[in-house]
Amino acid sequence: MVGPRRAGTMTLYEPLATGEELRLDELPRRSAKEAFFPVCETILSFEKTEAGVQVHDVDTARFAETVVVGVRPCDAAAAPVLDGVFSWDYHDEFYLERRRKTTVIGLACTTADDACFCSAVGLSPVETKGSDLFLLPLEGGGFGCLVMTDKGKALIDRYPQLFADVDAARPLPPAEPSAGKLDLTRIKEWLDANFEHPLWQETAERCAGCGACAFLCPACHCFDINDEGTEKKGVRRKHWDACGFAKFTDHASGHNPRDVQNKRYRNRIMHKFTYYADKFGATLCTGCGRCIRACPVGIDIKAVLDEIHKG
Amino acid sequence: MCDHSKNIYLPHLATITEVIDETPDIRTFRLEFQDEQVRDSFSFRSGQFAEYSAFGAGEATFCIASSPTRTGHIECCFRAVGRVTEALRRLEAGDTMGVRGPYGNSFPIESFFGKNLVFVAGGIALPPLRTLIWNCLDQREKFGEVTIVYGARTEADLVYKRELTEWQERSDVRLVKTVDPGGNSPAWDGKVGFVPTILEEAAPASANTIALVCGPPIMIKFTLPVLEKLGFADDAIYTTLENRMKCGLGKCGRCNVGNVYVCKDGPVFTAAQVKSMPQEF
Repeated sequence: MVGPRRAGTMTLYEPLATGEELRLDELPRRSAKEAFFPVCETILSFEKTEAGVQVHDVDTARFAETVVVGVRPCDAAAAPVLDGVFSWDYHDEFYLERRRKTTVIGLACTTADDACFCSAVGLSPVETKGSDLFLLPLEGGGFGCLVMTDKGKALIDRYPQLFADVDAARPLPPAEPSAGKLDLTRIKEWLDANFEHPLWQETAERCAGCGACAFLCPACHCFDINDEGTEKKGVRRKHWDACGFAKFTDHASGHNPRDVQNKRYRNRIMHKFTYYADKFGATLCTGCGRCIRACPVGIDIKAVLDEIHKG
Repeated sequence: MCDHSKNIYLPHLATITEVIDETPDIRTFRLEFQDEQVRDSFSFRSGQFAEYSAFGAGEATFCIASSPTRTGHIECCFRAVGRVTEALRRLEAGDTMGVRGPYGNSFPIESFFGKNLVFVAGGIALPPLRTLIWNCLDQREKFGEVTIVYGARTEADLVYKRELTEWQERSDVRLVKTVDPGGNSPAWDGKVGFVPTILEEAAPASANTIALVCGPPIMIKFTLPVLEKLGFADDAIYTTLENRMKCGLGKCGRCNVGNVYVCKDGPVFTAAQVKSMPQEF
């Protein structure tokens, strides 16, 4: 069981030991993508002996069945979006096996803050996309549960004692994010026509390239692959990376196609609001607002999109 | 048990059977797959690349430099410029490497049948074309005239020196080799001048001809206008792009040029395609 729990001064999606640990009153600081896409994972190990080099595989069949409960709509909706890239011709079983083995219990939001903008990118505080079961907080306490998929139904069938049919239930009113709606088509058209534009220098020269936005984002999925150990014995790991880092596209020759920070930030926006749509028909942003809350230099992606929207 | 069909990141093991020093800092490895089944079934097309492992150091991306017409082995050619390539350079004949691939698209060689070919390459960018050169020469009757324009900074920097001699001696290949001004010794029997300049001098005919170009960005920048001047249309010019890659299969998000993934939509592109990309490579 994984769900939001108090961890120090923040709430995080983490393994739960008991139900009492559940904290559903605030958006977890990090997204839920770690359930399918861990920060770091071993993809093979190797050793060199007199007999030669042996490479050992990782048995994805051993990934545990998981239930992630209390997943906010902005987090749940990201998983179907990420399915596109991880199954593009080559099937990444590290991601896909975890997806198969995970049941997502979503949770509607009854509050939102100024950074929330799910409603601006076509989602909402009661969006059920990506959830197998969806919980609506009810007046008087408890949760109404919507069954969204066969996987969700299977979970109810396994634990019928936890659920009861109801004739009438009154859900609490959903949150109303203050963010204005965005026309994503219009934004995409502007981006496709304005690769070179002063906007990038104007908004993103100050980007520190810290990677916080990518790491907290439910939809960011760039990664690196590195060997750790020696040639005699070691492991190969796949782990998170971010296009905001200065060396992300650096060639060994020293040539870097994205040699200044505003070009790197431009790539972030382009990837999210046009390139991913071209390849997979989806926007790579769910409006969770985490990048806005975390940015150490105050770059606000919603403000950038509003600027683009104005033309 | 290694299940290559399940774990897309698993490399095949290959033994280095031959090490050739092409230049003081560029080396060729000839590789044989250790698994007999892989040895018999591995196939690729010219233009494709692989991820080569130095276990303990990591993976590096190079083209498959040998021709698919020559089976039983593959070759890669690399310059030691960083951590992984330095680790590869420390390997010797008999050592084991990892090979993951083949990845990417390829030259549409079948569409070149019956046409003349002009290969233009600079320095270490000859390997990605060399696979196609031998692929064509091994079925020579299918093509018209074959011209190769190849240059490097100095004589010592020329890659595949023995093959340059072979091509020079063939009557069915026109080789024009060059070094940059100042890069020649008194005994040098080729041209002296930058590749785009020498290409313009050589003036290969463009009618019914495909141009294949590979080189550093600066060479491409000056070569494309020369080809245009000689009458080559943008969709008759092919190049292979290079970018920082890691997964090699379209997932890690590193190699895109605009909405194009060099590892998946490329690395082979026409000049028309390259011109329509945002210029960030």
